[in-house]
Amino acid sequence: MEINSKITSKKFNKVLYTFVFVFASFYAFNQHSEDFIPKEAVTVFSLNNISILQKVSMDELVRYEFMEEVQSELFDGSTSGKTLKDSGIDFDSKLNVFYGRGKDFEVSGFTFGIKNKKQLFSTFDDFDLVDSQILGVEYYNSYFNHLLIKGNVGVLIRVDPTEEKISKYTDSLWVVRGNTLIIEEDIFQLEEEVLDEKEFEEENNEEVKQDTEGLEFNEPEYPVVVEDPGQKNYSELRDSVQLEFQRQYLFEICNELFIKNINLKSQDSSFAIQLTHNTEGIFYLDNSRNFKKAQGFWYFQSMFPSMYEEFNALYTGNIMLGDIYLNENNIELKLTANYGQALGSIYHKMNNAKFDKNVFKYIPQNNSAHFTYNVNLKEAYEQAYKIIIPILQKEKNARVSSTLLTLELLNEFVDKDALFGTYKGSVFGTFNGIKKVKTTKIEYSYDENLNYEEKEVEQEVDMPLFAIGISTDRKDIPELILNHISRITSQCKNYEDYWKFENAILESVPLYMINKNGLFIFTNDEDLAKNHSNGYGKEALSGDIAKKNKKSGFAYAYIDWSKVIDKLPREIFTSEQNDLIDAMRGKTGVMELTSSKTSIKNTSFDITYGFSGQYENSGKYILDLINSIYVISK
Amino acid sequence: MRLMIYILSIITVFSMSSCIEIIDDLTLNSDGTGSFKYTINLSASKIKINSILALDSLDGKKVPSIEEIKQKVNHFKSKFEAKTGISNLTIESNYTDYIFKIKCDFTSLSALQDAVHQVIIDEKLDHNIKEISENWITWDGQKLIRNIPDYTINRSKNLTENEVEQLKQGKYTSVTRFDRPIDKYLNTNAKLAPSKLAIMLQTNTYSLLQNINLLENTIYLSPSKKD
Repeated sequence: MEINSKITSKKFNKVLYTFVFVFASFYAFNQHSEDFIPKEAVTVFSLNNISILQKVSMDELVRYEFMEEVQSELFDGSTSGKTLKDSGIDFDSKLNVFYGRGKDFEVSGFTFGIKNKKQLFSTFDDFDLVDSQILGVEYYNSYFNHLLIKGNVGVLIRVDPTEEKISKYTDSLWVVRGNTLIIEEDIFQLEEEVLDEKEFEEENNEEVKQDTEGLEFNEPEYPVVVEDPGQKNYSELRDSVQLEFQRQYLFEICNELFIKNINLKSQDSSFAIQLTHNTEGIFYLDNSRNFKKAQGFWYFQSMFPSMYEEFNALYTGNIMLGDIYLNENNIELKLTANYGQALGSIYHKMNNAKFDKNVFKYIPQNNSAHFTYNVNLKEAYEQAYKIIIPILQKEKNARVSSTLLTLELLNEFVDKDALFGTYKGSVFGTFNGIKKVKTTKIEYSYDENLNYEEKEVEQEVDMPLFAIGISTDRKDIPELILNHISRITSQCKNYEDYWKFENAILESVPLYMINKNGLFIFTNDEDLAKNHSNGYGKEALSGDIAKKNKKSGFAYAYIDWSKVIDKLPREIFTSEQNDLIDAMRGKTGVMELTSSKTSIKNTSFDITYGFSGQYENSGKYILDLINSIYVISK
Repeated sequence: MRLMIYILSIITVFSMSSCIEIIDDLTLNSDGTGSFKYTINLSASKIKINSILALDSLDGKKVPSIEEIKQKVNHFKSKFEAKTGISNLTIESNYTDYIFKIKCDFTSLSALQDAVHQVIIDEKLDHNIKEISENWITWDGQKLIRNIPDYTINRSKNLTENEVEQLKQGKYTSVTRFDRPIDKYLNTNAKLAPSKLAIMLQTNTYSLLQNINLLENTIYLSPSKKD
């Protein structure tokens, strides 16, 4: 009996273990790549139809900005000549690219289905298997990148603590260990003092000392602990702190993803719903978290907690959701910007603006890029005033109260009809390509004795031509200001059809101002000012694109990449923007943005990227579009 | 309006030439003393410079303000004029056209050379200290061998086509003057003044970049002073 009971018990346990194993396996294998996106992700692209990416080479893929955080592994040559098809990725699963930035760390990476693990590790060949602390999850590591595999799903993830977090803890540990914390300003001073003493001893020259003050440009160096070789110097300590935080945050994320089943899909129903859309891909951007996690907002939270709560509520629900459609000749991104009622009421009031058809006169038909933006700023201001002032009134803080008083007094004293009559809120801009403009330079001419003198000569330089204009009902006010300026400087002169301000742009090129037809236009295009001050006539924008401008809710933008992208210089953009531009260089196609009217709840945007290439290469265009949106939203 | 000007300035993009003109003008007396004039003319690139100065940073590095550049120039001046054998140093700075002229007297060519080397080492302007220890000018009372300092040209191997074009528009002129006639010289590209008291070499900055010795010259003077 007892024996039978033991056998039964053993059988039961075996059945139970088998059941648990089967269930766990079923559960593991039934989980999808989209179930492993960390809840901290703020921006997500999820591609359903990734078969179109099969032709994309790994080398091309890693050049995209959205791959930057996890690409060091992929740049080691192991991907050379390989396409995504060779990478062991399951093209029947979604590919999800994510990025998020919290108060303490940034997280980025992608999740994907795995079809062939052997192939996968022939691509990701620098990853080493490490003991996993989570049952059923394989853990591979390569420098700062982590690859976690559960069932047939791979999560390539990178976690980076913020610089502020690392500095704060490193500084603290540094001081606790008996070192003196030297802030950068002090280092500058210290180096100056040493320099000055040396100078004094050598030259005894007081003037030199004065001239060198504040002029040290060297990078600060923290002192090195030399007494105890076992003791870490500042840099080593900082590395350790960084590594420890990386480990800690990665563990927290993995614990949530693989044990607690906490992920973005389970935490945000709007994202979960968006994932069910049967389109080529979906886009998710939680703007409210972007806003709340902005560095200034943390200060705001600690200094004015009640006001923080009010503004927090104002931004809650500010989420952008989008669908990516792949059509025969274009890719379309349909976006909906959702917001809360209070914010929506401000945006909604902007709608009450009649499109100013006069702007078409000043946009040439053959422009390379242009935008129109059509809002009623006065109504939006009044609505914003109604919402924001009560929030400020609740805060019992002297600084806030003082700001409130200033706002209220300005609201009473300022003639809002004049202000918003001058700047109604509608703007347009055009990029008219590159043209030669005249400027001057100094040349040296030599006589027969090789003595030389300077002479000013004209030179022609290539200059991109822009026009930016605003709609105005108060032509008299810009005239008032320009008349005043012309009285105090001879550089500003009134010509019959336009105003000219010499050397206004970069102290070298004149700025022209046209104040006609209900528009006040700034431009560096001499031809526009001199020959087209009443518009381009028959050469002005008309037809389909003009109609699209007019029909578009509050904004429209058009850019012909083939005419623009190669003309953009690196110098004026940040490295992130340059990454985006670089990814687009050599590309053709027209990108167009249209919008709906704003409602209380949301505004819709439609971005289309038309391409003239073959449909089978459309995967690259999809990646272009994703990259553009990724960089903009980051 | 300032805002609009600023916006236009920022969005104004350039594919224009950004060329530099350098003139080094050395006057050498028979007793070894002399004066040195060094002119940097960036007026052809002034729009580009202004556009860069309108930015906060470029390629991740802080862009200095005009005020900071002025301070740096003053700092350089104080350093240089404090060197042994250097006197009457003046620096003219034109921040409209971006032309900078340095002028000084020296007691000997070695004093001038040492002063330049020392300032570069002090200011860590060039990390290749070994390279700059080489002499770029020697004088024995009859014969002057001169080149241009190696560190004048910041060499870069990875030049784009556009950068090459820009460099070709740049110019480097080297003038040497004496108080007695030039007897002969070895660089056949040199242009001798009819008075034989001055000689000039000129090339574009791209060619100079390719061959730093392009402006090297050995000049022999006649033994007696010209009346």
